[in-house]
Amino acid sequence: MTKALVRKTSTEQGLLTFLQDLLKNKVVSGVFSLKVINKDGDIAYALITNPDDLKDARPFYPLMPENAGLHLSRFTLKGTAKQPVLAVVKPCELRGFVELIKREQGNLDKLITISATCGGVFPIKMAVSKDHEKHLSKYWESVKKGEIHPEIRSVCKACENFEPYTADITVDLLGNSKSDAQLCMYFNTNKGKELATALKTTLVEKDSDKKTLDAIRKKRTAEKQRLFADIQKQLNGIDGLVNIFGRCIGCHGCSKVCPICYCRLCEFESPEAEYNPAHFESEFKKKGAMKVPPGTLYYQLGRLSHIGISCVACGQCEDVCPVDIPVAMIFKYVGESIQTMFEYVPGKNRDEKIPLITFNKEEFAEIEE
Amino acid sequence: MKIGVYICECGPNIAEKVDIDEVIKAVKPLDNVAVVERFKLLCSQDGKQFLADQIKKHELTHLVVAACSPREHQQTFMDVCEQEGLNPYLFQLANIREQCAWITDDKKEATKKAIRLTKAAVARVQYHTPLEKQQIESNPDVLVIGGGIAGIQASLQLAGPERTIHLVEKTSSLGGLSQYYEKTFPDMKPCASFIKGLIETVKNNPHINVYTNTEIEEILGFFGNFEITVKQTTTPEATAAFEVGAVVVATGATPFNPEHISKYGYQKIENVITALDFEQMNLSGKITLKNGKPPKSVAIIHCVGREEKGYCSQICCMYSIKFIRYLQKKVPSTKITNFYTDLCIPGKSQQHFYEQSLGNHVDFIRMSDLQITKQSDKIQITYSNEKDASKKLSVDMVILSPVLEPTQGLSSIIESTRISQGEKGFLTEEHEKIAPVSTSTEGVFIAGCSHGPKSIEETMSQAEAVTGHILTSLIPGQKIEPEVKVSHISESFCIGCKTCLNVCCYGAITFDDLKKVSVVNEVICRGCGNCVAACPSGAITLKHFTHNQVYHEVKEAVQ
Amino acid sequence: MKKSIRETIKDFLMKAMEKGVFDAVLIPMKVPAGDSYVYVLIKDKALVKDADPLPPVMSVQGGKAVSSVTRLGKGNLKIAAVMRPCEVRATNELEKNEQVNPENITLISIDCPGVLPLHDFTSNPEEGLAVFEQAEKKHDDTKMRPVCQICDNSSLIAGDLHIGTLGAAKDSVFLIAHSHKGQEVLQTLQLSSKGSLASWKKQVQEKVENKKKQRSMTHKQLKKQIGGLENLIDTFSRCLNCHNCMRACPVCFCRLCYFDSEKVKNVREDYMQQAQEKGTLRFPPDTTLFHIGRMTHMSVSCVSCGACEDACPVSLPVAQVFSMIADETQGLFEYLAGRNREEPLPMKTFKEDELHEMEDAHD
Repeated sequence: MTKALVRKTSTEQGLLTFLQDLLKNKVVSGVFSLKVINKDGDIAYALITNPDDLKDARPFYPLMPENAGLHLSRFTLKGTAKQPVLAVVKPCELRGFVELIKREQGNLDKLITISATCGGVFPIKMAVSKDHEKHLSKYWESVKKGEIHPEIRSVCKACENFEPYTADITVDLLGNSKSDAQLCMYFNTNKGKELATALKTTLVEKDSDKKTLDAIRKKRTAEKQRLFADIQKQLNGIDGLVNIFGRCIGCHGCSKVCPICYCRLCEFESPEAEYNPAHFESEFKKKGAMKVPPGTLYYQLGRLSHIGISCVACGQCEDVCPVDIPVAMIFKYVGESIQTMFEYVPGKNRDEKIPLITFNKEEFAEIEE
Repeated sequence: MKIGVYICECGPNIAEKVDIDEVIKAVKPLDNVAVVERFKLLCSQDGKQFLADQIKKHELTHLVVAACSPREHQQTFMDVCEQEGLNPYLFQLANIREQCAWITDDKKEATKKAIRLTKAAVARVQYHTPLEKQQIESNPDVLVIGGGIAGIQASLQLAGPERTIHLVEKTSSLGGLSQYYEKTFPDMKPCASFIKGLIETVKNNPHINVYTNTEIEEILGFFGNFEITVKQTTTPEATAAFEVGAVVVATGATPFNPEHISKYGYQKIENVITALDFEQMNLSGKITLKNGKPPKSVAIIHCVGREEKGYCSQICCMYSIKFIRYLQKKVPSTKITNFYTDLCIPGKSQQHFYEQSLGNHVDFIRMSDLQITKQSDKIQITYSNEKDASKKLSVDMVILSPVLEPTQGLSSIIESTRISQGEKGFLTEEHEKIAPVSTSTEGVFIAGCSHGPKSIEETMSQAEAVTGHILTSLIPGQKIEPEVKVSHISESFCIGCKTCLNVCCYGAITFDDLKKVSVVNEVICRGCGNCVAACPSGAITLKHFTHNQVYHEVKEAVQ
Repeated sequence: MKKSIRETIKDFLMKAMEKGVFDAVLIPMKVPAGDSYVYVLIKDKALVKDADPLPPVMSVQGGKAVSSVTRLGKGNLKIAAVMRPCEVRATNELEKNEQVNPENITLISIDCPGVLPLHDFTSNPEEGLAVFEQAEKKHDDTKMRPVCQICDNSSLIAGDLHIGTLGAAKDSVFLIAHSHKGQEVLQTLQLSSKGSLASWKKQVQEKVENKKKQRSMTHKQLKKQIGGLENLIDTFSRCLNCHNCMRACPVCFCRLCYFDSEKVKNVREDYMQQAQEKGTLRFPPDTTLFHIGRMTHMSVSCVSCGACEDACPVSLPVAQVFSMIADETQGLFEYLAGRNREEPLPMKTFKEDELHEMEDAHD
């Protein structure tokens, strides 16, 4: 049985009070969360140290301006952890961060993570003119019911990993019909439980409702099959690839916002990837024309092969694509097929090594034959 | 990481003005600090031994000393590190004497600042990386460009069995301008004959190779390792090449040609001659007019060309007075009139020299609006002075005293060596007061009138100064240790925009055409950091002044 | 511009290829899926028929395209690059920064009608095409990108050859040589600027004057909107720090941008300290600093092409702001980015006698 904190207050209010208590009592020195950052109501991530500022925090707001895994990596990579910080992140952001930790791009020193069963986020474009705001109440309704809201990111609709696997604390959100009147948070680890102890909070024995979560997962799986079938049709051979990636302008925005792409200088931006005139001219011997700048499809496939094993399907890439290529769904589709081969779910298990750096003598015998 | 922090009392200097125990208290709890101690005088033998023992005892990986200015004892403590097997660049000196103890009597403030500086040094040193000194071979030989008095003097003083001098002169003979002066001012001692003697000494010196009718074709390389190509002016295909360690540019000056200024009438009116014409005439033994008769009246015009060139040559007034002496000797009864706008007679003996030249037949007239015209077989000088707007004087001969202009045709030297040419065409020294004979290019020196118009005595001083520089920095058999704290350009991050190349004034950056990236020559680089600041991408780092080192030092200092 | 004008231009290019004046042409073309346009380097002249010299969008800035072909040296192919004036200008700026080798490239520009916002087009290509065709027919640029609507350099000649469409007779164009290279092309093809350019010049001048007025008015408004630090921060508050704008920009050519490098990534204690001093630290910090910094680095070379705004996922008015600031910074040096190849970059030129007004401010 898991230990849980149950309070008779709305989840939103209860969570904010919990965060405020932690800061006020100096149990943590900072809270990392989404927050309203200006008078226009724009939402962005912030590191909050003043408990009064927490009134503007929006912990599980359905927007993801950046994948927070990137931020946690940046925050923890350099220097030493002297003060404890609590980070409020979504499941795929946490998984992304775990994948980065496996690659020495961050650590969990004095960092406590709190997440929630996730109902998905709206595409960033909807936040530009605050279009998403008119969908908010229906969104929270569908979260309570465990249904898929039609306006969220396609990869969110297809996401089966909505449970945060490694979080120290999990807020019961998705499929929780009582969330308006009751806050329920599961304390999964000792790190999490220490916070409760410090606040002198009593925890009760409670397990999450597996049945409800399984039912939700079934819905997500069905949606995933549908969307995968669609993308599979488009990815039909080289022609399919050329069609779908044809309008790629090589801006590499997808790479920059991806939590897994951590290379300081991407191979596809390095001098080794540049074309010199001799290259062009030798290519021309075979073709009559060439897309310029060259190598956009090569870059996409290359990135897929480099990070596919760890793709957490957060959907950031697709949201920043200037020409609306459905990158996220493609990477989820291909990424998952690679991950299935190794029975690997990125970010699920902190101790599981990345398959690409693990050598198993007995493996893929079918390919040998 | 184990940092040892040692605070020097510097006798009473620091101890009385800074609360050292407070500093120790503040520094002790810092991360990675293994030990903090105070000592009476760290630069003394005992002090240095103490540091050495401490490094061994605590197995220190980094050393911080809070004491005097780096200019005083940075090297001292670096040497201690090196002796104890600790890389000398894993050391940082915080100046709490000149920057704290010696600038205020307020002990509280001095202590606060000392704490900041010491903490900043501790923060910085953690990001230091060990650096290795390089040693490169050097060639002690010297190229001297210009066979005038500056070049001759430098060559004679530098030449020796371990040092060959290559003296390159573009005309057919050595001697420069001074070979034409019978005597010099203010001592009126023999000059031309003296120069002749020097030239013979040069020619007889087995360690000086003289190349006349020769010009510089190309200068490649850097201090200690220059590659020189010279060519014959008469047959340009005939070239020679040799290697040297230093270059002296003693290309001198030429007198301004007043031909195009009609008011002087030079080359138009007979018996109007220039100073150099007069010197040569005087040296030949007789002073006469064109018709062979001695002049009865002579006018000497100062400041010819000063307005046009925009500077004073410092020597023209003096040699114009010298001309009075020549005339007084060779044509004693001649009436001499010196026309001047300002009189420039600097120095300890010059005033006396001037006063001694005055006499019954000598007039000094301060004037303006000078005009020289022909009047039958005489020359008429029209001028204005303080009292009258238009005065006239009739004379037999006019001597024009022009300013000195820089020698032309130096473009190949300037381009190859990257030294600068100032607005007036003279070569630019590294610093007017503290580095008057070196240039921004290490190993390239200037001496004499190539630097600016000056007298023979000043030229000789400069030639000696250059000699001093070369004797102490280019020692036969000794290797050169170039600057360690130099720039480094990341080959992966450089995009080849050449911005750094454009801002480097030492020519230390070259472009690799194949890889299309800029590359730093670590031997020429002086570590000024201009390229680091100019690179928009941040692809250039300055060793020992990396982003992290400077950032953490400053951040700690301003907390 | 009528479809036939495009055919006229393509005919000219194909003829030039036939006569060996060019071995290849760098020109936009519709992508196989038909939902956007990209630059293609065409060697087979038959394929030029499928090209579009003035597509409804500018997905890749032409300067970037030329640079990717010739950054590492001149090739053996003689290439004609067919672009808009702002793209030619960007190419010139890149040449000054050693990112373009111009030797075998002939830069050909065309009078530019503007382009649609990229995202508007790709989200619905069919509708986008219809909107663009209508706009061309009616000479109405109100649907074009904001920076296109106030562009006063849409007919600026900065390359080797310029194709003038304004004031031209039906189905014909003006071929204006601007350099020795351009003249040679025309001579080899036995084409001359027959007749006067008066009608083109007149139309261009009218357009330029009109646009200058619009520009001045628009900038007055924009200044009010972004003037002062508070307003500037608010303007960029939605920024996601994705740096798409920097990567789409033709004159941002650094391999690793300073603002992506380790230098802007601090130690954990620093972030905590900042958060404690402010109470709340937006993460990642320094969002506005990136934009000001980018301006500092490239504003003097900004050609107001608008690629940045097209690439922004949250529709920030990046191009509008940067273009306005570029007018000011370039004005300081009396410089117009890329208007010719000879003018040295102000940022790389040291003049002892310059900007005294800055010195006096500190006296």
